[in-house]
Amino acid sequence: MTDFTIVLRSLRVRAFSTLVTIASVAVAVMLIIVLLTLRNSGKAAFERGSGDMHLLVTAEDSPLVSVLNSVFYANAPRRPITWARYQQLSQQAPWAYAVPTAIGDSYRGFPVVATTTDMFTKFVPASDAPWKLRAGAYFPAGDEGNWQAVLGSTVAQTTGLKLGDTIYLAHGYNPRATKPGSPDPAAKHDEHAHDDHDHDHDAHNEESEEAPGAAHVHMEFPTKVVGILEPTATPHDRAIFTNLESTWIKHAKDIRERMPPQTPPLEAPKTSADLRESEKLITGIYTRLVTRPGSDAPANLPQVFDLLRRDGSLTVAQPKQETDTLFGSIIDPINRIFIAIAIVVLITSGIGIMLALYNSMEQRRRQIAVLRVLGASASRIFNLVITECAAIGLAGALLGAAIALIGTRFAASIVLTRYGVVIEPHLSPIIIVYLLAATILLAILAGLIPAIMAYRTSVAKSLRPTA
Amino acid sequence: MPALSIRNLVFAYAHRDADNPFSLRIPTLTLDQGEQLLLSAGSGSGKSTLLNLIAGLMDPQQGSIEVAGQNVHALTGASRDLFRGRNLGVVFQTFHLLQGFSAIENVMAAMLMADKPASEMQPRAAELLSKLGITKINALVDELSVGQQQRVAVARALACKPALVLADEPTASLDPTNAAAAMDLLQGLCKEQNAALLCVSHDPTMASRFTKRITMEELIAASAGGTGFQPVREGAHP
Repeated sequence: MTDFTIVLRSLRVRAFSTLVTIASVAVAVMLIIVLLTLRNSGKAAFERGSGDMHLLVTAEDSPLVSVLNSVFYANAPRRPITWARYQQLSQQAPWAYAVPTAIGDSYRGFPVVATTTDMFTKFVPASDAPWKLRAGAYFPAGDEGNWQAVLGSTVAQTTGLKLGDTIYLAHGYNPRATKPGSPDPAAKHDEHAHDDHDHDHDAHNEESEEAPGAAHVHMEFPTKVVGILEPTATPHDRAIFTNLESTWIKHAKDIRERMPPQTPPLEAPKTSADLRESEKLITGIYTRLVTRPGSDAPANLPQVFDLLRRDGSLTVAQPKQETDTLFGSIIDPINRIFIAIAIVVLITSGIGIMLALYNSMEQRRRQIAVLRVLGASASRIFNLVITECAAIGLAGALLGAAIALIGTRFAASIVLTRYGVVIEPHLSPIIIVYLLAATILLAILAGLIPAIMAYRTSVAKSLRPTA
Repeated sequence: MPALSIRNLVFAYAHRDADNPFSLRIPTLTLDQGEQLLLSAGSGSGKSTLLNLIAGLMDPQQGSIEVAGQNVHALTGASRDLFRGRNLGVVFQTFHLLQGFSAIENVMAAMLMADKPASEMQPRAAELLSKLGITKINALVDELSVGQQQRVAVARALACKPALVLADEPTASLDPTNAAAAMDLLQGLCKEQNAALLCVSHDPTMASRFTKRITMEELIAASAGGTGFQPVREGAHP
């Protein structure tokens, strides 16, 4: 038996009050840890998504929107860049790569990124996670790669698609309207396609009957799954990659079918050679400048950045800078408010500890007096009460930390599924240790008044027999 | 060396109601090792004050109280508390066991507070409880009968092998059967351990248990004769 046994027994006698107090401390500690963890991990996740690119070029309204739409697939980009402009731009600077992307189609809520094979051979999505195939192969360059798709790991996991499966991509990408993993709208079309061999016609009729806002499924262009990627812990894990030519052909067909009757009819294109220049559109360009070996910061980045910005039709973004802006101007102030609230909750729980002990002092005077008669000094009694407070603080802090660590992993999985942002919950152990120490210190401070009361307890008065 | 020696003790409450002043004067009182004394005293006679003074929980204005040769009031703070824990055992009227603690933990708590070696606690507590017929040593004290609780209180008072045991109305909460059993155990154990016993009680059946007894009247007379214990009202004293 030790003094700590006395403390534990004392806590056990007031089990309900002790548990409620511990719970209130745990909630406060959990809030603080969750907020700090998600803040750090969220920022790291955003920085990770842009991989090794230096500049992102789009025709969006702002650099931040560019990054959100073209890297994190928040929405479909609204304005296109012509292929001719891309070719011109690709000659304007000493690029290590300039990977074109066209985002606008989707499959069951997942974005379809039309691109070139440079996406897989040159762009690196994360420094510790280069592209790697789990199964199959990348689609070949040019028309040879038409109607072939490579799936990000999350897409494969969520949809259960396998190599050789056929999918029908939908025109339009609106993550707010269609959540990732939603039922396949092509399934209905498929049933009709089996009933009627003329499924091109059938799909067209179905389209006219679709409710407003429903995705237009390109049933006439079955696309085959040829590759499945390993996870990269980036937003690209929830993307489906196809070649640009397929996307252009698909949309050129739509445009040509909807041309006014008075214009000369144009046949639906079969290959990229059948396309007009105006039908070759992209929505973004991932670029990286040539750097010295071992360096990630090219000296000519500011000049290239200025050069591109002179073209008013383009928006040039430095993804890492935009992430800092996003966190610095929007997310950090909100986080600070939440952390302030959490600190208030922690202080409130400290007051709770004080009240719980203060209220119990009347009942405990007799026990304290008995311990004094048994030989405990007043300072020992003071220490017992302080230890009791510290134990409540420690238990609350540990419980809060444990719930927070489990909770953040749960939250991370929700964020990944819903928003495609990969968050790996991590908080420096030093910060957790500081937080635990601060919580215990607060609990000890909260226990000072009850401890002084215990210290000053009159033994003779407290042991008088009650009536 | 006597277990208890009181000389020229004078105590008065500092902030007592002016209409009801109170003081306690005891010229001498001695209790040898192993000796057992019954002090018969009614309510308001000053018996609790005397016990608190002997335990070092109150300080007298004059005189000295020695327990096992040590002037209790010459010690201060933690050293007095520790001395009390090691040399004095106390049995209360309402037991004052530690709620939420088991029987054995109540006994061990006394040894812990007296800074006894950890290795001695468990065997000593178990031995005492066994002697007193407590078999469920790990049961919470709330789960024990009233008689068993008093026996745990006796074990706790004797856990540190004290020189002096103070028993304040030890049978007041017990029925006659349990009271007799508790007193048998208390007196027997004190004798076995050569601990002096000062038992304060107004229970008339207790008289037959003690060869040395003092009633309030005898105390006043003894005080007049220069020995004994006399509670007096301030102003009434010559």
